[in-house]
Amino acid sequence: MPKFSVNQLEPGMKLAKPVMAKNGMVMLGEGTELTEIWIERIQDMDIHTVFIDGPTVQTLSMEEALSALDERFALVEDKPYMKNIKKIVKQHIEGLYE
Amino acid sequence: MSNIDPKVLRHRVESINTLPTVPSVLKRLSAVIEKPRITIVEISAFISNDPALTTKVLKMVNSAIYGFPGRIASVSHATMLLGLNVIKGLLLGVSVFELMQKTMSGLYEHSLACAIASRVIAQKKGMKEPEEVSVAGLLHDIGKVILTLEFAKEYEAAMGEAQEKRISIFEAEKNQFNATHADVGSWLAEKWRFPRNLVEVIEFHHRPALAKNAPMEAAIVHMADLLARARGFGFAGENFVPEINPMAFELLKLSDQDIQDVLQEMEDNMESAEDLS
Ligand SMILES: [Fe+2]
Ligand SMILES: [Fe+2]
Repeated sequence: MPKFSVNQLEPGMKLAKPVMAKNGMVMLGEGTELTEIWIERIQDMDIHTVFIDGPTVQTLSMEEALSALDERFALVEDKPYMKNIKKIVKQHIEGLYE
Repeated sequence: MSNIDPKVLRHRVESINTLPTVPSVLKRLSAVIEKPRITIVEISAFISNDPALTTKVLKMVNSAIYGFPGRIASVSHATMLLGLNVIKGLLLGVSVFELMQKTMSGLYEHSLACAIASRVIAQKKGMKEPEEVSVAGLLHDIGKVILTLEFAKEYEAAMGEAQEKRISIFEAEKNQFNATHADVGSWLAEKWRFPRNLVEVIEFHHRPALAKNAPMEAAIVHMADLLARARGFGFAGENFVPEINPMAFELLKLSDQDIQDVLQEMEDNMESAEDLS
């Protein structure tokens, strides 16, 4: 889920996480569809960003992420259970690019 | 090669309340939480008297990391719900955040990812107090904070050695200090009068088979630490995934699906984690 500055919000966007006040209280629940009014209220709160539904843009390309993964596992490839753990992590990382 | 005597090292670590390198906020906190019979009321008052600390604690308990998103409005509610030890741990966690960013960039992300994974695994294993395991995950590498702070040059050398020889930071620390961040962390946890189980998890998170009182908790944090590294969240001294301790893995009996779930929860919650500072 991407993060948006409160100044970039548009009606119709859906909150991926609740909007919370500084003290941690939920002001708008997860899943709320933003309206002009809600956007105004959010901008009146002392917060800078909110999380909106949608895929997150990954900072690395998938190839870069997978080669970093290989490097991280370089010392333990053939230790017990590690092959399987790596396989699961690899699938997880590939899933981030779907 | 090291010329640091572990006894001297331990003594220095335990003098944290007077070390010039340690920021005063942490000294103050340390002096409070090490009190022998500190009550939940005193802790609650300590937090409430400090607005910045109050905000940080409430943000943390209301984050998905602790599993009570957006439901805790006051410090007193938080302390009653979570109990003395979890609150003490959490206070430390939020108080060393800036320090971690300064001394080892990425250590806080690593610790948060480990805390999240610890909670999820603890819940899957039906542990009675998943928040306690989560706090153990948050603090498991706290020894690195004091080592990097007080022995910056030596720690720099340890990280260099780890990278050059392609060994774990844990092994490099042994060469440099005759002790590891796990030892240092357990000395601190003892000084701060954390329960035996938490001390043990910190001490044995790299050798979970040695944990006699809390083998399950130690196995959970061991696995959580490994998964945080495997996914590549944060930085903890070098970039290698350690090998899993087979006994711990067999004790945990996690299915492939369980591991996928842990990774997914880490993923979802780490995105908002930077807002916790
Ligand atoms: Fe560690
Ligand atoms: Fe770690």
